[in-house]
Amino acid sequence: MFLALRELRHSRLRYGLIGAILALVAWLVFLLSGLANGLATDNGSAIQHLNADYVVFQSGARTLLHRSILPMQTVQAVKQVSGVQDAAPLGQFTITVQRVGSSEQIDATVLAIDPTSFLAPPIITGTGLDSANQNGVVLDRTAQRHGVKLGDTLKVMPAGQEMTVVGFTEGQTYSHLPVIYMDIPLWQSLRFAAPGSAGAITDPISAVAVKMDSAAAARVAADVPGVEVATKDSTLQNLPGYKEETGSVNMIQAFLFIIAAFIMAAFFYVLTLQKSNQFGVLKALGASTRFLARDLVGQVLLMTIVGVIVGALLSYAVAAIIPAAVPFALSTGLVVVYGGVLLLVALAGTLLSLFQIARVDALVAIGRVD
Amino acid sequence: MHSVPLVNSGGGQPGPGNAGWNGARPAANPVLLVRELVKEYKVGDGTVTALRRVNLAVFAGQVIAVRGRSGAGKTTLLNLIAGLDDPTHGLVVLFGHDLAKLSERQRTEMRRTELGFVFQAAHLVPALTARENVEVPMRLAKVARTERERRSHEALSLVGLAEREQHRAPELSGGEQQRVAIARALVHAPRLVLADEPTGNLDSHTGHAILDLMRNVAHQAGIAFIITTHDPAASAMADAVYDINDGVLTPGQR
Repeated sequence: MFLALRELRHSRLRYGLIGAILALVAWLVFLLSGLANGLATDNGSAIQHLNADYVVFQSGARTLLHRSILPMQTVQAVKQVSGVQDAAPLGQFTITVQRVGSSEQIDATVLAIDPTSFLAPPIITGTGLDSANQNGVVLDRTAQRHGVKLGDTLKVMPAGQEMTVVGFTEGQTYSHLPVIYMDIPLWQSLRFAAPGSAGAITDPISAVAVKMDSAAAARVAADVPGVEVATKDSTLQNLPGYKEETGSVNMIQAFLFIIAAFIMAAFFYVLTLQKSNQFGVLKALGASTRFLARDLVGQVLLMTIVGVIVGALLSYAVAAIIPAAVPFALSTGLVVVYGGVLLLVALAGTLLSLFQIARVDALVAIGRVD
Repeated sequence: MHSVPLVNSGGGQPGPGNAGWNGARPAANPVLLVRELVKEYKVGDGTVTALRRVNLAVFAGQVIAVRGRSGAGKTTLLNLIAGLDDPTHGLVVLFGHDLAKLSERQRTEMRRTELGFVFQAAHLVPALTARENVEVPMRLAKVARTERERRSHEALSLVGLAEREQHRAPELSGGEQQRVAIARALVHAPRLVLADEPTGNLDSHTGHAILDLMRNVAHQAGIAFIITTHDPAASAMADAVYDINDGVLTPGQR
């Protein structure tokens, strides 16, 4: 690093420009990562944070909650299977509500649960669901953007059934909509308001959330009639539009990494070519290829680390001012992982330069052509 | 000029086999022995012979001038002596080691510790100060910082540039840069310095001063110099003069 540090200090403009390019690439990577993560979170954070390992659906529902209807007895049937730790009913429905005193209509996804089960969401304001207050609901705090407050009365459109907001939770969205948690009976009265809409099932639910291992899941699929079993992750992946959204952004990210590798490789290669003469002289003086390679790699790593840090700071700055409606979620873990990938990409970008260093001829460099 | 006495460097760490750059060395064994050296290059379908059965012996403290026009084979000879290139036939024995029997790594190690180079252009690293440039061979040899600083200051004092040690290479004149290059060639106490047209890019006054400096160092520190040159002044200050013509090395007249 002896030469690397002094060159960085001496040629501030040249290395500053390259560092700025690295920072911009890192910034773009982090912004896209934040967007991809934000979209994924916005689409399915309620499933991501579901306190269960598996979800049991009606057979043929293809792991889609809105297609699945099971009788409540399925919960007991699942619980009786060997290896199942716990099981709880889950209902799902998309509704439109209106705050009393406001004309704004709010789309939301209802997740119906047993308030005493392990599916009860963590409460950040107010209280949790209570079977004694069947019209009480808990909303994801993103609903607050629409002016919903604790104690508000919400009217279900168009029927006009009323609910009271008793608490708020967070990180609970589904299909880009805030989740409204409610007790099963209230959900049943909304979802199956039309006579005969539940078919022959008298006490319907959408699915059963289960805590169990893979062996028990196989037994549930085999022993409980009329069901199919999916892991929480495959349930998330099968959410409508989830794979398409995250897949598109992930593909852009993958191409960005490839482009970043080429950009970095080109910059480092040009830098190395410019210094070929210097490397040759140093070789003639007794510098090994390893010594020169270590210096180059150290210089590249230092510039990339600074670029990644600057890129991350810029991304956090954008995150702070970005409108709340834009789904953007940049976690420290994500920054560390993608920063690490960028470092690896930068190292890959030095391979061509290292090859150039290895083939620098001291004789040519010192101009001995006599 | 620049006849700074070479004081004993005390706790210095001379390179392997060195007595330190101020230590007198017995001249019994040659530092360099070249026997029947031939170098041929393939050019297209033909062969060009750059050196023809060259013989040479150089002893500690001796200054050898090799004169010849461009393309005569001077630089090829230095390349082979430095182990930067391989001969077609013949033998180069440097400090008792047959170069043909050394690995590339061993040759690099030998260049790092036993040889000094002065090129026609100074070839200093522009991002480094004069002192840092002089320190380069010692950094490559992993010499401790305090020792590096002491010896580089001593070497720059020797070439009369102690006051300019914090200046970067582009801030120095051509003559000053060449003097820094000489300090760099001497700082790690080599046993042999190969100087390829060291005054070629300098005005005659500066060139003579540089040659004077090299002769003083050679005689006082016991370091051998091989200087290739077109400059008649270099011949005048050398202990022995050789002419090289069409790859044939012969003893020359001053």
